[in-house]
Amino acid sequence: MGRRVFITGLGLIAPHGEDPVSIFDRIYRGDSAVQLVRSGTADFGSDLPLATVDFTAKDRIPKTQQLFMARASQMAVVAAEGALQSSGLFGVGQEGAEDGEIGVYMGCGLGGAEILQEGYRTYFVRQSRRGRPSTVPMIMASGPASHISMRFGLRGPTHTYSIACASSTVAIGEAFRAIRDGYLDTALSGGAEAMLNDGSIAAWERLGVLANSHIDGPEASSRPFDLERTGFVLGEGAVLLVLEAESALQERTVDPIAEIIGYGVSSDAFSLTEPHAAGQEAAMRSAITDADIEREEVQYVNAHATGTPSGDPIEIEAIKNVFENHASNLAVSSTKSVHGHLVGASGALETAISAIALQKGRIPPTANLTNPDPSCDLDCVPGYGREVPELTVAVSNSFAFGGSNATLVLRKV
Amino acid sequence: MRAYSYLAEVLADKYDVDEDKIRPEATLADLGLDSLMVVEFLFDVEDEFNIEVPDDRAEFETLDEAATLIDELIEAKGD
Repeated sequence: MGRRVFITGLGLIAPHGEDPVSIFDRIYRGDSAVQLVRSGTADFGSDLPLATVDFTAKDRIPKTQQLFMARASQMAVVAAEGALQSSGLFGVGQEGAEDGEIGVYMGCGLGGAEILQEGYRTYFVRQSRRGRPSTVPMIMASGPASHISMRFGLRGPTHTYSIACASSTVAIGEAFRAIRDGYLDTALSGGAEAMLNDGSIAAWERLGVLANSHIDGPEASSRPFDLERTGFVLGEGAVLLVLEAESALQERTVDPIAEIIGYGVSSDAFSLTEPHAAGQEAAMRSAITDADIEREEVQYVNAHATGTPSGDPIEIEAIKNVFENHASNLAVSSTKSVHGHLVGASGALETAISAIALQKGRIPPTANLTNPDPSCDLDCVPGYGREVPELTVAVSNSFAFGGSNATLVLRKV
Repeated sequence: MRAYSYLAEVLADKYDVDEDKIRPEATLADLGLDSLMVVEFLFDVEDEFNIEVPDDRAEFETLDEAATLIDELIEAKGD
């Protein structure tokens, strides 16, 4: 057994805002952050339900730094500052070499998607080969991690995991392992994604996985496990967690939010876009074994469930196969119903929500679940959250395009 | 000295350089621009005046030298 690892800080730039407690309260009430957004132009674009973030770097990041940061990096840096502040570690990187040994483990899918779009616009639309010289360093998926390291003077490993929808879950899992196994005492870990630019959205639309606006309004568009689900709602944001070894907690006063106790990964080796129950099961089993608990100890699953017609029942099947008789005792909810799918930042947001759920003894719901799909016949916590004071162990799933699966197990402190 | 006032303006507005520091003898490094910022700055200037600074002529040190070079390039273009 390695060292225990705790979540000691959270920083969020999310569709529901920036304050972790009020974000959780809105999610707990099933209050959706999804809105109808026009992308593109008046005559060449579309209106789609999206979970955008009300964020500007103005007055939050020095102007000259902003110039060289894509939106994902800007949000990541501000979220990282919040995480460091909430853990009481803010400013630590600037003080001494020893403190600089903090790692940055980030997930990100598309990096500076809007910068790439601008580069292509210059080339193909303006017929110019003279795009911005800083285009390349701004589009890197590793940009958010690098900017966090530079801004806060963090000199440990700076790693980016670009594994589509599992990116930030893997990032957190790998940071957890590095700390547990003694390679590192502290890490900032999470994900950032900002790809709600017109070109990226048009590409997503063509894939046919996005939700249509629901007849009850755009806020009802993300409806995992519901018969009327039509796909997922793309979101954006940055979510950072501070992870620390048990030893670090003895050196200062800090109240951990939750403990990470297990991490499991697997690959489907099956399809680029279709999920596969066997692979998902392997990730969950591996995480539970890693946590050294009995599966019957798990009470809540924050599901990956994005709201696509094909994906949700497969995850339910996988959960049933892993938990067998205990599956019917589980609460299984998809908070994507209210915050959308943040792709490379989704796992981090859902891990943060699961951690707060454990801290508060409150299970968040699946909103918009009014007409359950019979093939999703577990307790999916429809509509409104549930007080469960004895809530102790939660699982958070992230299953990516390309068949990469990742599961984290968290425990109440 | 058509270019100098533009250079000074961009440095102050876009690169947040303290206006007191912007003097003809100052180098871009003095003003806190790293190598990536310098190429981006030249890009701004090229875009503004619709010129291209050839690589073999981009070896100016001070703002004054940069402005002189750019003025020459503008003149050579024949605007």
